[in-house]
Amino acid sequence: MSKVYFSTWNGERINNIGKPQEEWEESAYNLPAQYDEHRDSKAFIGWDGVALFDEDVDVIKLAAEYAATYQEYSEACGRCAPGRWGGRILFDMLDKIARGEGEMSDFEHLKEIGSSMQVTSKCEIGKTVPNPILDLMTHFEEEFLTCINEKKPSKHYNGDTSYIAKITAPCMDACPSHVDIPGYIEGVRDLRFDDSLEATRQTMPLAHTCGRVCPHPCEDACRRTNLDEPISIMELKRLGADYETDHNLGFLHPMEKKPSIGKRVAIIGAGPAGLTGAYYLAAEGIDVDVYEALPVLGGEVAVGVPEYRMPIEKYNKDIECVKDMGVNFILNHKVTADDMRRFEQEYDAVLVASGTRLSKKVRCENEREEIKGYWGAIDFLDWVNLYEKYGIKTPKEVQEKQMLPTDHVDLTGKTVVCVGGGFTSMDVVRCSVRAGAKKVYMIYRRDEKTIIRNTTYEEYHEAVEEGVEFLFHSAVGKIVDEDDVLKKLVINKFELVPDPDGGRPQLVKIEGADYEIECDYLIPAVSQSADFDFLPEEWELEMTSWNTLKTDGRDYMTSRKGIFAAGDCEYGPMTIVNAVGQAKRAASVISRYVQTGEITLTDEEIMEDHLRKLRVYDKNEKVTGWLPGLPRQVSEKLEVDERKDNNREVNLGFTQEEAISEAERCMRCYYIAMVAT
Amino acid sequence: MVKFTIDNIPVEAQKGETILEVARRYGIYIPTMCYISKTNPCASCRICSVEVEGVDGFVLSCNTPPTEGINVTTNSQKLEEERTNIMKLYDVNHPLECGVCDKSGECDLQNKTLEFGIARQSFSAKDQFREVKHWNLIDYDPSLCILCEKCVHVCNEVIGDDAIEIKVGGYKSTIVPKDADTLDCTFCGECIAVCPVGALVSSNFKYSANAWELKRIPATCAHCSAGCPLEYEVRHSGIDGDQKIYRVKNNFEFSNLCGAGRFGFDFDAKALPHQKIAQKAVDALQKADAIEFSSIITNEEALILQKIKEKLGLKLVNEDARLFKNFMESFASASGKRLYEADLEEVKKSDAIIVFGTQIATDNPGVRYAITTASKQNGAKVSYFHPIEDALLQNVVTQFVKMEAGTEEGVAALMAKELLKDSKLPKELQEYFESLDEGYLEAESNVGEEEFAQMSVFFKRAKNKTLIAGADLFAHPRAKNIAKLLGFIQRYSDYKVLIVPKEVNTLGVSLLCELDEPVEDGYIVGYNTKGDYTISSFDESANLVVPALNQQEGTVTSIDKRVLPTNVALAFDGVCLNDIANLLGIEKRYTIDYTKELGRANEAFADVEFDTLENFLGRLGEDIRGYKLKNSDVSVNFSIEEVEELPEFNGVVVYHADPVLQFNAYTAKTAQLPKENTLRGSKQFAIAAKIENGEKIVLDLGDMKIERVFELDEDLKGTVAINPTFDVEMKPNRYRFEKSKIERVQS
Repeated sequence: MSKVYFSTWNGERINNIGKPQEEWEESAYNLPAQYDEHRDSKAFIGWDGVALFDEDVDVIKLAAEYAATYQEYSEACGRCAPGRWGGRILFDMLDKIARGEGEMSDFEHLKEIGSSMQVTSKCEIGKTVPNPILDLMTHFEEEFLTCINEKKPSKHYNGDTSYIAKITAPCMDACPSHVDIPGYIEGVRDLRFDDSLEATRQTMPLAHTCGRVCPHPCEDACRRTNLDEPISIMELKRLGADYETDHNLGFLHPMEKKPSIGKRVAIIGAGPAGLTGAYYLAAEGIDVDVYEALPVLGGEVAVGVPEYRMPIEKYNKDIECVKDMGVNFILNHKVTADDMRRFEQEYDAVLVASGTRLSKKVRCENEREEIKGYWGAIDFLDWVNLYEKYGIKTPKEVQEKQMLPTDHVDLTGKTVVCVGGGFTSMDVVRCSVRAGAKKVYMIYRRDEKTIIRNTTYEEYHEAVEEGVEFLFHSAVGKIVDEDDVLKKLVINKFELVPDPDGGRPQLVKIEGADYEIECDYLIPAVSQSADFDFLPEEWELEMTSWNTLKTDGRDYMTSRKGIFAAGDCEYGPMTIVNAVGQAKRAASVISRYVQTGEITLTDEEIMEDHLRKLRVYDKNEKVTGWLPGLPRQVSEKLEVDERKDNNREVNLGFTQEEAISEAERCMRCYYIAMVAT
Repeated sequence: MVKFTIDNIPVEAQKGETILEVARRYGIYIPTMCYISKTNPCASCRICSVEVEGVDGFVLSCNTPPTEGINVTTNSQKLEEERTNIMKLYDVNHPLECGVCDKSGECDLQNKTLEFGIARQSFSAKDQFREVKHWNLIDYDPSLCILCEKCVHVCNEVIGDDAIEIKVGGYKSTIVPKDADTLDCTFCGECIAVCPVGALVSSNFKYSANAWELKRIPATCAHCSAGCPLEYEVRHSGIDGDQKIYRVKNNFEFSNLCGAGRFGFDFDAKALPHQKIAQKAVDALQKADAIEFSSIITNEEALILQKIKEKLGLKLVNEDARLFKNFMESFASASGKRLYEADLEEVKKSDAIIVFGTQIATDNPGVRYAITTASKQNGAKVSYFHPIEDALLQNVVTQFVKMEAGTEEGVAALMAKELLKDSKLPKELQEYFESLDEGYLEAESNVGEEEFAQMSVFFKRAKNKTLIAGADLFAHPRAKNIAKLLGFIQRYSDYKVLIVPKEVNTLGVSLLCELDEPVEDGYIVGYNTKGDYTISSFDESANLVVPALNQQEGTVTSIDKRVLPTNVALAFDGVCLNDIANLLGIEKRYTIDYTKELGRANEAFADVEFDTLENFLGRLGEDIRGYKLKNSDVSVNFSIEEVEELPEFNGVVVYHADPVLQFNAYTAKTAQLPKENTLRGSKQFAIAAKIENGEKIVLDLGDMKIERVFELDEDLKGTVAINPTFDVEMKPNRYRFEKSKIERVQS
């Protein structure tokens, strides 16, 4: 919150005109009063209003520049009649007034065109660009009239103020990778699937993957929710990727790969973060070597996410797309501390993207690794997926430890208990069903509502359909074994006790409610942690309190210069899209660092962070100009009997007709934000 | 079904319909500038906004489906104001060159400016210099462009060239060739057709006539079997009263034309005095053993030829139609229906399409556009079985199955087995498919389990499946057996079959004439083909010149099994077939007096007077032209021959197929269409044939030699080169793949 001279942001009316600075009121919003370490902002102007942090702002020039960005940000616009001509006229007239050549009629026409654009434009840019301009014309009418009547230029017409603008949208802002969502949906609506894919790939190389297994935080920030239901954003992403694959078009990269600049970067880990970093670094003409410990590429999405959710054939297309950019992959290479010391010498930068591949314990009595039937989720899923997707057999020692009758994970006749509540645990139970388990339990400390919030409604619902029994408000109290072979579990029951002080309700164990479950396997999937054995101790890399690599969350450099980190090893176990977003940013920072030795962010990135703080989506905004009540399309899923004993993809995706209908619901909520410094 | 009201009128929407579509169906007017029925809404003009009771702001009618019970208002003072404002913006800086603009008189911008009464421009934007672009047959003037996006949508969604796009840049936005410096497309000219203003125009027509001076003659395109509706636009061309076709237009809102239809209109025939003497033709016919003729004639001409045959007892030879007829008869003996089941509308609705035995994009652009529409609108998966991959179809084909030339019978058998594997078949067929030597067929044809497995993955969710088969099959030595296999597919699977007749009236001729096998020796009268005595509308050196298809009244039978009327665009001063028939005692006043007798000649036709046939599309695009052929049941014969040993095509092999925009002697005659008659081949072919790009060669096909220049085509792969046929008279009974010798011409 900062003091402002004037603000109409989101309907607030702060007017400190004529008051001394000490008496200025504070805005209720996280406005970017300070642009970066070096620069204060003079003004912030955007879709929702305008805020001045300085009394000396040339508001006419500010309005004209804002209109000019609308012209410049043409990659997003120029697609409707009111916007195309109206936008140009707004700028021409404002600039005319600012030059000191305006007439009263221009002032009137500005209002007329502005209000026409607000009603008739195709997208929110056209509808909202006039908002702050009209605000300024209302509240600073005198300044405008002075310029018009006295035929003189605005006060800093030729000043050295710089204006930095950024295009955004509520969904783009909420997406950790800031994917141009309205852009790729427009591609679907226009049946230009190549354009759709290129819009996605600007910031997200894993289009097939994130069209399938993204938890889509964007949909929680979809403005269409204010009207009826959010757009099915995630699934529409598949269309472009499938188009490219189905028609064998070769990879459509949204940028041209730059010629080699003679710089080298090593990346540790070929999961979503590593792949993303590699893609955007390679595009910048940097030679990239990616080191992967596993015999296959793709990280957790390859060996963690099951085939029925993310067919490897499709993921491989995303991986090939990264390869196509010219990236060198080294498989079966578990990086050591010595490697890292060497990499630091041999490469211009190192990006650690090693993920979190250690299953955490459930913390119960008698929890011992050596008990047969006690099986960490990561290791369990590794062997399931390596066999199902790549035909890699489970080695003898694992077979023996986990009492497997064959060379793959076959649980026929077995009872499996999984402890978890997140995506990984869902994968475990549903893979167990597919591996033939007789009975599968999911033990979760909290309730149904929370498990749905932590995963998705579909995921939970489908698991229930497949016969998984969910035991809520439960936890494993004790493991009971016979000669190191798992026999049964003692389960504690909990209840939610409301906090008398109105705080969060507490889980309290119900005494005497313990019961037992006989089972063959206990698979802890409570969370994962990172394995950092490969980091040289003497580097003393700074860690977060939850044992991940510490960065400032903006440039992704660790405490050691030239060593960067992105994805789960930085953030802790999180989503693919989060890993992609971090790695994309890290790649951008690294691409400049290897050339200049400096850590910098682009204006685009600085604005991105400002807007994230401010929040673009406003769930209370009233949406006008759209017919409410058009239902969100739901894609066809395999019936439970068709899917539960095999690995066929469960979600069949939209038909073209469904996809187009869904795309037509998108309101193209692009906005322009601009800072004057 | 959604019930709601528009302007207090109770209306019902069908599934998928938008408010605008419902309004149009009920005849309620909502103004638009960018809307075009055959594509997804462009949604750029915003003029079609309407009000919905209880909803704040305007709702766009073109892309919003209605919800139950809403009350829509299409006009109000507020709507009128905003629409007027939009029109004011459209008019800002629009060049005032209506006096010379091609579009003047039929310009949407002009019309809407009048409609909204925009009498003056009260504000302006800084003007900008914009250069006119010359793209071969098309000129683009960006300063006239209103960026409605219709051209871009049509090019991508209907035609499939995807050759233009919007270079977005706010006020500076323009249309540009996609990923290219200049326009590289099939020059269908649909972009010209749909342009609401004078921005995209025919470069040859430009500044040659005013829209209001041109008389429109509704007709049917003469170049392929698609039967596209078009209008010849005619005006006097000088002071002597001569008429000329200035251009061709189409009802672009619903139908399409390829470039041959649009730019290839000047194929009218002119007879010199010595080519007007009917008696000489009569003499020739009286001593003739046979009439050899082409299928580029009307149904009525076909019927007259049949009558002449009956009268004079001579033979009728037309190998194109006879092979097609044989093919269809064999097909019918398996399918149980005289005609194939599918048509172009069916293709457009499909979500799974197999293309087999045709280079469809150039064989029949109408079918290509239907496939493109299915691909874009329905996400149709397309499996293309052919020895040569077609770059034109890359955006729509999802599976190219490269089969060996000559192995069509084997592929048809494997395909039938695959498509019928879940059908309940009679015992004979079950046994037939069980006894197929799949290993051998797969090895020779290069098509097998893997390809069909991939196809079934693609087609898994499909609900409307179509199989398109074409001209490679008709002259195949095993055509009858191939046809039979396709017939069983239609009968026992959920695929609808479309068989693509080659020429404009192959289907009609095949039904109306009793055709004989070619005559070895004897005196031949050629009708639209060369003979000992030649009667032709193609050939300027013919003994007797007759009117071309744009100089005649009559009907043709299209791929849609539709009997379509066509009219006289230009008068013909000379003799026509009916005049000759009259001299032979086969008396009718006009050729079109035979139209009402077609049904008597073949029961698929109807006995309808020519003058009662409609020749336009309905208000909502319904095809109400002419009438549909009657499809009747025929008896099924389950006997089917074993697949013969598959031939091998090694060495230098050519495929006879025309380039884009070329079809026949008519298109070869026109001024605007390019006459690219090179032999096109891949690098691999060039190496095998030991020839280089640009080299002059002679293609030796045994019984004929053709001089060609060899052109290396980077888009082509494989060892088969493509040889055009539009500029040479080639017997239609040649199988389209041929082994040949290539001789280099010493220069």
